[in-house]
Amino acid sequence: MPARYLVAVVGRRDYGCASELVCEVPDDFRPHPGQFVHVACGGDGRILRRPFSVFDRGEGTASILVREAGEGSSWLKRRGPGDRLDILGPLGRGFDLCAEGGRLLVAGGAGIAPLRFLAKRLLEEGETCLVAWGMGEAAEYGVLPDVLKKEADVRLACLDGSGGHAGSAVDLAMQLDRESAGQVYACGPREMLLSLAARMEEVDREGLARLQVSVEERMACGVGVCRGCAVPVAEPPGAYRAACSDGPVFRGDELDWMRMAALT
Amino acid sequence: MDAHGGVDLRVEISGISLQNPVLACSGTFGNGREMSAWMDIRRLGGVMTKAVTLDPCAGNPPPRVWETPSGMLNAIGLENKGLERFLEEDLPWLHDMGVPVWVNVAGFTAAEYVEVAREVSRAKIASALELNISCPNVKKGGLHFSADESEAERLVSAVKGAVDIPVYVKLSPRTGDLRGFAGAMVRAGADGISLINTMPAMAVDVETARPRLGNLTGGLSGPAIHPVAVQMVWEVAQEVDVPIIGMGGIWGWRDAVEMLMVGADAVAVGTLNFTDPTATLGVVEGIAAFMRRKGYRRVGELVDLARRGRSGAAG
Repeated sequence: MPARYLVAVVGRRDYGCASELVCEVPDDFRPHPGQFVHVACGGDGRILRRPFSVFDRGEGTASILVREAGEGSSWLKRRGPGDRLDILGPLGRGFDLCAEGGRLLVAGGAGIAPLRFLAKRLLEEGETCLVAWGMGEAAEYGVLPDVLKKEADVRLACLDGSGGHAGSAVDLAMQLDRESAGQVYACGPREMLLSLAARMEEVDREGLARLQVSVEERMACGVGVCRGCAVPVAEPPGAYRAACSDGPVFRGDELDWMRMAALT
Repeated sequence: MDAHGGVDLRVEISGISLQNPVLACSGTFGNGREMSAWMDIRRLGGVMTKAVTLDPCAGNPPPRVWETPSGMLNAIGLENKGLERFLEEDLPWLHDMGVPVWVNVAGFTAAEYVEVAREVSRAKIASALELNISCPNVKKGGLHFSADESEAERLVSAVKGAVDIPVYVKLSPRTGDLRGFAGAMVRAGADGISLINTMPAMAVDVETARPRLGNLTGGLSGPAIHPVAVQMVWEVAQEVDVPIIGMGGIWGWRDAVEMLMVGADAVAVGTLNFTDPTATLGVVEGIAAFMRRKGYRRVGELVDLARRGRSGAAG
C-alpha cells in the first residue's frame, strides 16, 4: 500500500551529472520495479512534488537517482545524510516481469533508474537480462556504468563515440534484440521511446506488444486525481490515461504513438 | 462534536448538514475513490466532484500542468467519463460513503448543463450541484458563461427549473463586476455561491518560445491566488445572503479560518490535495484547535468576523 513517509537520507553517491540518494525506509515500503515515489522538493514556492522512479531497494533502504532538471531536482540533488525527505509511495503501475524469451532493457540517460531496479529484481529471481544504456558521453554518469556492470550485463551506447557502441541506445538495442527477441523494457526521453517503438514495429507486427515503456510526464498529484499527467492511448481513440496511476509503465501497444510524436 | 474537544464544527448550508466546514474542491479530489486509499473521506464536510459533462471528455493535450511560484497552472480540459458512467460508478460510491456531495456540472452548451443537472438530481443521491461556469480551459461553455451575465442568468434559471436539489454557482475571478454578477446569479435562483475558480494564466518556455501548456493557456491555483480569493469572498459576502463556499489556495487551517472570517460559510481545499492527499483532514483538525484556543464553540461565530470587526473570543 502506498503511504506518506518522512524518510532519513542515509547516503548519497555522486555519479557525474546525477546523484543517488539512499533513504532509510520501513519494511512495509515494498516497491515493485517501475514504481515511483513522489518527493516534496523544499519550500521556496515549490508546491508540487516531483516523481522519481525507485532506483534501488536494499536492506532497510531505498534510493532514487536525481539528475538536475529544474529548481526542484536541483534542491533535491543537494540533499545528503542528515536531511529528511517527505515522500509518497510507492506509486503507479510498474513493469510486468512475467515474460517469454529474453529480456532486453533499454535506458536513455537517467532513464536507467527504474531499469536498474528491474535488472536487480530479475537477477534475484534467477532470470537473465541485457541492459543497453545510452548517454551523450561515457563520463556523463561518472562511475555508475562500472557499478552497474558488476551487477548485470550492461552495454553502453555513447552518442559521441567515447565509449561502448558509438550511437544511440536504440541502435544498440536493435542489434541486441536480434539475439534475445523477448520482452523489451525501456525508459528514457520521449524521443528515444518514439524511436524504439517505431523500430520495434518495423521488426515485427507484434513488436509493440512485447515492449513496456516507463513514461516521464509532468505530474501534480501523483495519485490519479488531477489528470495532469496525460498520456495518449490507443483505445478508446483520442483518450488519455494518467501516467501516475495507470502507468508510468505502459505496454507499447497501449499507447497512441502518433499522438505521442505530436507532443514533442 | 465531542471528537473535537467541545468545539462544534457542524454547519448547515442550503439544508445540507455538514459535520465540518471543510470540503474538497472539484477537480482536485477525483470522485473520492483514489483519495480513499489515503484518508477516511467520511470525515470530510463534503466532496465536490470532478466536473461531469454529458458525454465522455478526453481533455486537453499534455502538458496539462506547470508549476509557478507558489502556484500551478493547469489545463486539464474537463477530462471525465461522462454522465452515464458517473451515475453508474462514482455517484453511488460517494453516496455510500455518507459524505455530502456537490456534483460539479459542466457543459459545452446550456442544454448540456441542464441535462446533466437534471439527471444528477433525478438520481436522488447528490446533495447539491455546483455549476461550473468558470472553467478557463475549454473553448466553449465554461468561462464563456462568466463573461455574459444574462446568459449565465438564463442558464441558472433553466437548471433550477430542471432540478430539485440546491444549485451553487462557481464564480471565476475573471468576472468584471463580481458583486453584481453574484447578485444576479442569486436572483436567477442560485442557492449558493462557490468561489473562486482558477485565474486564467499562462507561462512560456523562453528557450523554445513555446507555451508551457498544451492548451497554451490555463488556470492558476494554489497559495499564489489565495489573497485574491479572500478579497473576492469578502466582496461577494457583502452582496448576497445565500451560503458561500470559499476556495482558492487554501494551504492550511489558517487560510481556511481567514476564508470563514471574510464571509464564507464553508471552505473547500483544492491544490493542496495534490501536495498532501490527507491535507483536508489536517485543515479540519487545525480549525478545531484554533477554535478551542480562541474560545469559539461554533463555526458560525467565525463567519464574517472580519467585517463585524471582532478579534477577541466569542462572548
